[in-house]
Amino acid sequence: MKHFNIPGRSLVATVFVAALMTSTAPAFADFWSDAAKDLQGATIRGISESTPPSNYVKDVLAPQFTEKTGITVEFEATSWDQMYDKAIKDMEANTGIYDFVYIEQDIIYSYLARDFLVNLTDMLAENESLKSPDFDATKFTTFIDNFKNADGDIFGVPMEAFVKVYLYRKDLFEDPAVQAAYKEKTGADLKPATTHAEYRQIAQFFTEHAQANGMEMWGTTVQASSGHPASVYEFIESVLPTYGVYNWGIDTTTFAASVENGGKMNSDVAKEALAWWVGNLEFAPPESTSSTWDEVAATFAAGRAAQGLVYGENAAWIATNPDKSTVVGKVGVALPPVAEGVMDQAKSGEGYIGYYDGGAFGIPHSSKNKEAALLFLQYIGEESVQADWALAGSRIVHQATYADPKIVEQDAKVDGYYTLMKDQGPLFRGAPPFPFHNQAREAMAPFIYQAITGELQPAEALDKAAAAVDAELKNLGYRK
Amino acid sequence: MRSSTVGWLFLAPTLVILFIFGVLPFLYVLVIGFTQWNSFAADPTMQYNGVENFRRLVFDEQFLYSLWLTLKFGFFAVTSQILLGYFLAQLFMRDFPGKGFFRTIHTLPLVIAPIAVGATWRLMLVPGLGPIPYYLRQWFGYDLNISRYVDQAFLATVVMDVWHWTPLVTLTMLAALASLPKEPFEQAQIDGANRFQIFWHVTLPLLKPAILATVFIRLMDALRTVDEVWMLTGGGPGAATRYIGLHIWRVVFPKTDYGYGSSMSLITLYLTIVMCWLLYAGLVARRDLKRVD
Amino acid sequence: MRRDRPLAFLAFWTVSSLITLVPIYWMFVVSAKSRVQLFGSPNFLITSFFTENYINTLKDPAFQRYMINSIVVASANALLVTTLALFATYALSRYRLGGKENVFFWTITNRMAPPAVFLLPLFLLYTQVFVLGDFKLFDTRIGLILLYCVFNLPFAIWTLRSVIDGIPKELDEAAYVDGATTWQVLTKVILPLAKPGLAVTGILTWVFAWNEYLFAATLTSVHARTVTTGLAEFVTVTGTNWGQMAATAMLTLVPALLVLGLVQRHIVAGLTFGAVKE
Repeated sequence: MKHFNIPGRSLVATVFVAALMTSTAPAFADFWSDAAKDLQGATIRGISESTPPSNYVKDVLAPQFTEKTGITVEFEATSWDQMYDKAIKDMEANTGIYDFVYIEQDIIYSYLARDFLVNLTDMLAENESLKSPDFDATKFTTFIDNFKNADGDIFGVPMEAFVKVYLYRKDLFEDPAVQAAYKEKTGADLKPATTHAEYRQIAQFFTEHAQANGMEMWGTTVQASSGHPASVYEFIESVLPTYGVYNWGIDTTTFAASVENGGKMNSDVAKEALAWWVGNLEFAPPESTSSTWDEVAATFAAGRAAQGLVYGENAAWIATNPDKSTVVGKVGVALPPVAEGVMDQAKSGEGYIGYYDGGAFGIPHSSKNKEAALLFLQYIGEESVQADWALAGSRIVHQATYADPKIVEQDAKVDGYYTLMKDQGPLFRGAPPFPFHNQAREAMAPFIYQAITGELQPAEALDKAAAAVDAELKNLGYRK
Repeated sequence: MRSSTVGWLFLAPTLVILFIFGVLPFLYVLVIGFTQWNSFAADPTMQYNGVENFRRLVFDEQFLYSLWLTLKFGFFAVTSQILLGYFLAQLFMRDFPGKGFFRTIHTLPLVIAPIAVGATWRLMLVPGLGPIPYYLRQWFGYDLNISRYVDQAFLATVVMDVWHWTPLVTLTMLAALASLPKEPFEQAQIDGANRFQIFWHVTLPLLKPAILATVFIRLMDALRTVDEVWMLTGGGPGAATRYIGLHIWRVVFPKTDYGYGSSMSLITLYLTIVMCWLLYAGLVARRDLKRVD
Repeated sequence: MRRDRPLAFLAFWTVSSLITLVPIYWMFVVSAKSRVQLFGSPNFLITSFFTENYINTLKDPAFQRYMINSIVVASANALLVTTLALFATYALSRYRLGGKENVFFWTITNRMAPPAVFLLPLFLLYTQVFVLGDFKLFDTRIGLILLYCVFNLPFAIWTLRSVIDGIPKELDEAAYVDGATTWQVLTKVILPLAKPGLAVTGILTWVFAWNEYLFAATLTSVHARTVTTGLAEFVTVTGTNWGQMAATAMLTLVPALLVLGLVQRHIVAGLTFGAVKE
């Protein structure tokens, strides 16, 4: 029994813990139980997409909060489609089923335009007794700015933020035999791609390499579900920007999409981008045409792809959880390949190279338990819960989390993903501030799907998509 | 016959419920169909816009394609079911050991929830898990991927529907065959007709009412199909299996295009009623003829 | 009846039955395996039963609630529909009502209309029009129970019509002569004789309500969700967790299989609205 041998140390530790308890615990416990004393026994219900960060809230943070406050949290973690379907219907119909809802970064502008959400800054100012002393909006990363209105008031407490990065199989890329084979075949050195041509070449190489060696592996993942918007998102958020076409190719002042109206959605560069992306399917596993973000992560974790663009929320479990992943310790992280000049545009702030995704929890106006929900949102926004949450979901919303020892340790295991997010994060950007997000996406989606199945050539698909978006936005009254 | 007031009172609850939950929604959709209303538009309120929606619909390639696809699906599914169902029913007319047992098994798919049927076939067809793509590749080198190839996905939905509903046709045909009178057949045999002639001139005319009734019920249901397809393909790949029900759902909910979606619903309903009426007229016409006889 | 080539027949029906059964059996196989066991080539044998798929599903409080909702909605709807259909068919059969055949035909149009057409207006009615103070029909069991009448009532009326018509009117008249009230005639004379028909109608109504997906998916959210909706929702959440998806689907179809034994004989008449009888 080890601890018998070192009584001094455990004593010190006990004293230290006791000291901590006396200094912080009472104030802590007092605030939550005081603030919730009239809300004892209340139940709040929230909805979110079932992702690693959300499941951590469901399994860990919500029960903790219940213990501290006596408020029960029913946390519904469902699919992305269902989450939107249910949340929007609830707010639209004013039924008051949900007391807090997940707000993905890209939908916030639609929600604000419809005035679905409670102004949290105002609510905290009006309810002194509900304001946690440990909740401080200034501790968040700049990601919180996405959830502010023009006056700087907050409408959502960030719960996750991550970048969509380029994951590759470090073990294979660094294998001398593979490197030699690559060199022999292409004449180039094998390293993570920085251009689209390199990326394609690597994808082709690994597909052929796997075939020759009887491996169930392909050169790249493609999030190309032929019937789910996930494919549209990969194209407009992660591929188009790397070609220098930003904001989906829609002009942010005139809201025009097609070239003839001043947009860029069907520009030659955009067509080149779609052709490249769809072309990657040739070197992708067969499940790619039914893959959303979940399946892409699963494909990579199953060792079925040598490289791919993967949402960062999955980086941690892919790289470290042996129960679900077969590539633990074999994952490399890099920036996505870009066209010439795009990196400079991103550095200067003119452009961006990929998607900075994430979400927050907000309180709908229809909620019947706004006070209890406000307490919960503050609880999950506190600094003390951030580090463990970041370990579970590879998401970071607080500036200080980057320096936490646990994160520094994890960072090494995921090939510097957190460092990349901290240092290179500004190169990525969230979705453009469109109040017609879902409508424009639905208008263009059928044509992207048809480009994936090969029914339409990429150029034709984008011409039709741009025309459809133009017509839709005109119809909706956004484009004059 | 007794006092009609009491009779109407007995009918009243039924009529009230059907009015509130059947007619009222129809009247509502009729109103919305003539408006421009998208709750995420620059102006999220309902605006009367006359027949503008219908004008757009006539040129809406996706809507027309979806309608065409639905009809194509209905045609292929129902035709296969009738042919296969008739064939199986004829075999069931014979006497053989274990008949009751086999009949029960062939009734099984009928009671399964459509959404579970979709789940079942998804498990059969999904690449990497399903046995069908696996063995097709192993034995024939055929690449089956319903999320990638348009024709395969369409065919998969037809096969699923045939699996689900052929038993209904079989049992209906069986009932009809069993109730056929003997005399015309005996007469035909005496007259020296061959098997095909008997089928064409005796069996078929006698079965026509039953066949038409079955086609009517099956076709109406096939055109309503949403659940199974939603589960199997989600309407994809591309728009390959986006049958009209799915299409309306996408326009109305994810796109929140209430006005346009309603006018689409109206056209669909109108076409359904017309088709319903044509088939029904066919049925009634047969009955009238028989009565004249 | 001829009894020829029994072996050939047996072989044919065995193959045909296998085609019918294999998809369901495969689902059962998937539900009995862990994720790892499902990798590689398909294996139709179940070597060890992986119970966790079922346990996890049954333990999930959301699934339990969906199950209870489905049972309540289907049972209440079956009861309501059979009762109202009995009243309605009694009226159609025994009373001289102007235009009753038109009414009879009109009811069926409610069953034939594509449900997708009514999704939006029903959603708007349930959330914005049928509102009493804080109460909305949206996401309530009663909302589903009443709505399912729209397609189940016509079905029940059409199938029961011939049952009631088949009960001789002389029995009613005799009871009236004995001084019975209308209500007594209905409950003491008609009801006992119509019982078998009512039972079959009730059971099939129950199955239709249990199987319904599209309306439930649109008009409920949390409190009144049913298993079919739960299944669809579940599939998209678990992504590649096929085992658990299969287990959920198996649990969804269990009641239907039980019912099959009860009404097998009457299913054709049921599904063709009495147009075809065995």
